Amino acid sequence: MNIKIRNTFAEITGASLAMIWMWLNLTEASLMTIQAVSKVLAQGIGGSIILIIALHIIFNILSSIITGQYEEDIDDERDKIFELYALQVSSAIFGISIVATLVLLGWFNLTIISGLIAITFSGFIASILSLLLKIYLYR
Amino acid sequence: MFKKKIQIENTVRKLRFNNDEMTQQQLAEEVGVSRQTIVAIEKYKYTPSLDLAFKIALAFDMEIQEVFFINQ
Repeated sequence: MNIKIRNTFAEITGASLAMIWMWLNLTEASLMTIQAVSKVLAQGIGGSIILIIALHIIFNILSSIITGQYEEDIDDERDKIFELYALQVSSAIFGISIVATLVLLGWFNLTIISGLIAITFSGFIASILSLLLKIYLYR
Repeated sequence: MFKKKIQIENTVRKLRFNNDEMTQQQLAEEVGVSRQTIVAIEKYKYTPSLDLAFKIALAFDMEIQEVFFINQ
């Protein structure tokens, strides 16, 4: 497994764990205040960033211990193209999700809390799908 | 009007072996890309930019058309 796939796995793991943590903390969302929901979402987003950085470091330390060599992470033109494909996919999914959420909010007269949760989770899902695309391209 | 997809092939692998069995890592470092990119180029999974193609040709001291060519 090369460093790109390893780092992408770290990002997927971090985002997934943050999503699971948020989901577990939002099971009673209908009874929570908007401040409480926003706090959980903000903590989830912040936590996912810290978790991804930590997992990057852990995955690379483990890899160096197992293989016995340090692999330098070089970003070249191929990586930039793959980043661009991933960005296109995540932007498209996130954009569609926002429009769908706004339409559904009005259509079914849902609460602002549902909209906040739906938009945040669609952001995470878009990010995870774009990372899966990157793994497919790097395979 | 239809677009005909062209397959750009290369002799990078052969040239590496003819150049004192240069490793993929050595070539990657010389042209400033990752080893994975050289692997992808050799397997025809990735077509490099003109800039990178020239750098690879220069690494072997050859003309670009001697390294990269279209398979008709």
